[in-house]
Amino acid sequence: MNYKLQTKAKFSESKTSLFSKRRREPSHPASVSFPGGTHPPGSKELTRESKIQPGPAGKQVAIMLSQHIGAICEPLVEKKQQVQAGQKIGDCDAFVSATVHSPVNGKVKEIALRSHAVLGRGPAVIIETEPENNPPKQPCSAKFTSDFNDDSYSAEQIRYAVRQAGIVGMGGAGFPTSVKVEPNPKAPKEAMIVNGCECEPYITCDYRIMLEWTNQIVAGVKLARKAAGCSEVFIGIEDNKPEAIEVMNTALKTSANSDGIKVVPVKTKYPQGGERQLIKAILKKDVPTGGIPPMIGVLVLNVATTAAIAEAVVTDWPLTHRVVTVTGEGIVNPGNYYVPIGTSVAELIEFCGGLREEAVRIILGGPMMGIAIADLTTPTTKTTGAVTVLTEKQIGGAKFAGIQTPCIRCGRCLEACPEHLNPTKIAHAVKNNLLDVAESYYISACMECGCCSYVCPANIELTGYIKTGKILLARQKKKIPQ
Amino acid sequence: MLENITVSPSPHISRPLSTRRVMIDVIIGLVPAVAAAGYYFRVYALILIPTCVISAVATEWLCNLIRKKPNSLGDFSAVVTGIILALSLPPGLPAWAAVIGSCFSIAIGKMVFGGLGANIFNPAMVGRTFLTACFGMLMTSWMVPATVDSTMPKIAPTEVSTKTIVDARTQATPLALSKQAIKSKSEAGVVNEQLEATFTGGIGGCLGETSALALLIGGIYLFVRRTINFHIPLAVLAAAFVFAAIGYAVNPQAYIWPMSHLTSGGMLLCAFFIATDPVTAPLTRKGMWIFGVGVGAITMLIRIVGEYPEGIMYAVLLMNAVTPLIDRFCRLVPAGGRPEEIKN
Repeated sequence: MNYKLQTKAKFSESKTSLFSKRRREPSHPASVSFPGGTHPPGSKELTRESKIQPGPAGKQVAIMLSQHIGAICEPLVEKKQQVQAGQKIGDCDAFVSATVHSPVNGKVKEIALRSHAVLGRGPAVIIETEPENNPPKQPCSAKFTSDFNDDSYSAEQIRYAVRQAGIVGMGGAGFPTSVKVEPNPKAPKEAMIVNGCECEPYITCDYRIMLEWTNQIVAGVKLARKAAGCSEVFIGIEDNKPEAIEVMNTALKTSANSDGIKVVPVKTKYPQGGERQLIKAILKKDVPTGGIPPMIGVLVLNVATTAAIAEAVVTDWPLTHRVVTVTGEGIVNPGNYYVPIGTSVAELIEFCGGLREEAVRIILGGPMMGIAIADLTTPTTKTTGAVTVLTEKQIGGAKFAGIQTPCIRCGRCLEACPEHLNPTKIAHAVKNNLLDVAESYYISACMECGCCSYVCPANIELTGYIKTGKILLARQKKKIPQ
Repeated sequence: MLENITVSPSPHISRPLSTRRVMIDVIIGLVPAVAAAGYYFRVYALILIPTCVISAVATEWLCNLIRKKPNSLGDFSAVVTGIILALSLPPGLPAWAAVIGSCFSIAIGKMVFGGLGANIFNPAMVGRTFLTACFGMLMTSWMVPATVDSTMPKIAPTEVSTKTIVDARTQATPLALSKQAIKSKSEAGVVNEQLEATFTGGIGGCLGETSALALLIGGIYLFVRRTINFHIPLAVLAAAFVFAAIGYAVNPQAYIWPMSHLTSGGMLLCAFFIATDPVTAPLTRKGMWIFGVGVGAITMLIRIVGEYPEGIMYAVLLMNAVTPLIDRFCRLVPAGGRPEEIKN
């Protein structure tokens, strides 16, 4: 038995070494990574050098009552009620939930349904703003210096502030941060990973805040570490952002009480910023299939989330604004903007000079995992890091035309899958309505990163089929009504 | 402005690689072998290769027409099948037989299953097997390459000792000699002397299989382009080498060198171009190893123990048949382990 296990381990070792040789990785000896993944063009040069600017002061904002994973908030305001910037307008008693706040001074116009990138449609508080009463909010990064000390805040105080500020994972998933940092006696947190990878093409919002809000992030990291009660912190940054690695390193060196916080350069590869992939790269641990990082004692927070934690704890201001990268070849003036959460996509696009003639797709998020929208009144949420507008050239003629050729079983999707799944088998099972087969190939372990569709020479929408399959399965299990 | 906006599932970008590009790479990889065929067999290559390609393409077009399906010639897979079939045929095969073979390859080997991606067996090997079954004599007459002096003594089983010219146009292949030596329990050493010829290609054999060098160059191109990965070729060659080495170790007189086995016959064409056909090979790496070892081992079993001098096509077809089974038993383990095992 022992012998068997040993040979197995040896075999897998040799396999990974062969594997890594086969891929043309940028040679950075210090960088760590995970097996699988792909290398889409970064396209970050559009907004890389553009400083964070104040965003549009819109006439109206729509605050979705569900901007997170978990229970939907109940509105705390009524029609025609006056609200102040920073006022709580939605709350929920459920443990897994996050409060929502008004980013502006104004009057509640109505509580109505708005397009939601994930839910389809969801209730939102629509607030009409008074432009004269709403100077653009300035980022609070200036309040943080390198001598920030977290000693004056207790762990309970930090957790309370995080819960009250309605902070959620700002990398995209939107899991309530208060739940994440809550200590769990059954699974003590050993390590915290701060995710500054930003592996998704085009997006630069996290990169810019790492450069511009460095001290705020370091402060947030310290606070989050204290709240979660872990000692070791790794800040993972892709090695295509050497400036960010450098400023974070410098900030940590000069900062007080920063022992145990370490910047780890990780390889530039998509989806390096997926939390399971980042844990694999930095800690060399696998999160169990169907499980979550706390099961192995790890907490992963996005850099933007840590910045929000610092703001919430130190200045007592809730999460009402975030940096959004408005980018893509289809937009006139791409840039990074500090915008009130709830600003509609239309307003953002207009603020950036509008769409170019060639624009054919508007995406909430980046091109790999973002969701294409047709309704420009869709409001931004706490998890909207980017609005990407693509032209036909970037999408590619065949892909844009939706031309799919038969699968030739080349296996490229299997090699690209960071979760080691069999995308073509799952997708074809879904296509033929064999959901049990799809399940037996672990459809639910898919995180929908899009690598398989990206590499497919036949242009098959593998990720699309897998997403469809998951919805059909959920319906079958009566989780979602027909 | 908004009328141009479209939606689709993510991701919204894709790698600029198409099935057509993959097939073109295979065709480029076959160019050295085609050139070698042209060099050694001159006009026969010039007749056979275009004949096979044109009839394969025409058959696919006709099948699409009959089935009222959109034209699928743009993916160039029919061209690949045509070239591989041509390269695996004896140079002296009449053109009409080649036409029959290509039509069978495409129509029965591929289109009846539903076209590209749906076939179970390698189409070229289906066509070749059909031709072997129908025209056994024609499929086993081996022409002397044009570069070899036609007046020089030909090596054939009966002539090895006497060295007299019996037929100026045909000669036995190294593998036929090897088989003869095994069956008659005679010396096989003469085949080992041909090692250099089997490497460069100046020897009797199938059109594109004689030159190991040309096939190696093409294979390396496919590696560099990442059109194929190394698992299947390595497994095929390693398994064949091991089996051949066992034979050689048991009886060095009757069995030829392992290297001779690798360079002669269809071994390299199979390892790089036939067994690596993604449609009919397993998806997972573990499966690829099993598949490759199976092809190599069955080929060597046929060559050493079996009735025929060459066993590539049967080995490939047999392993094609078990590919779905291999795929079923070589499932990938998700990165975080199998959920059902985690629960326990």
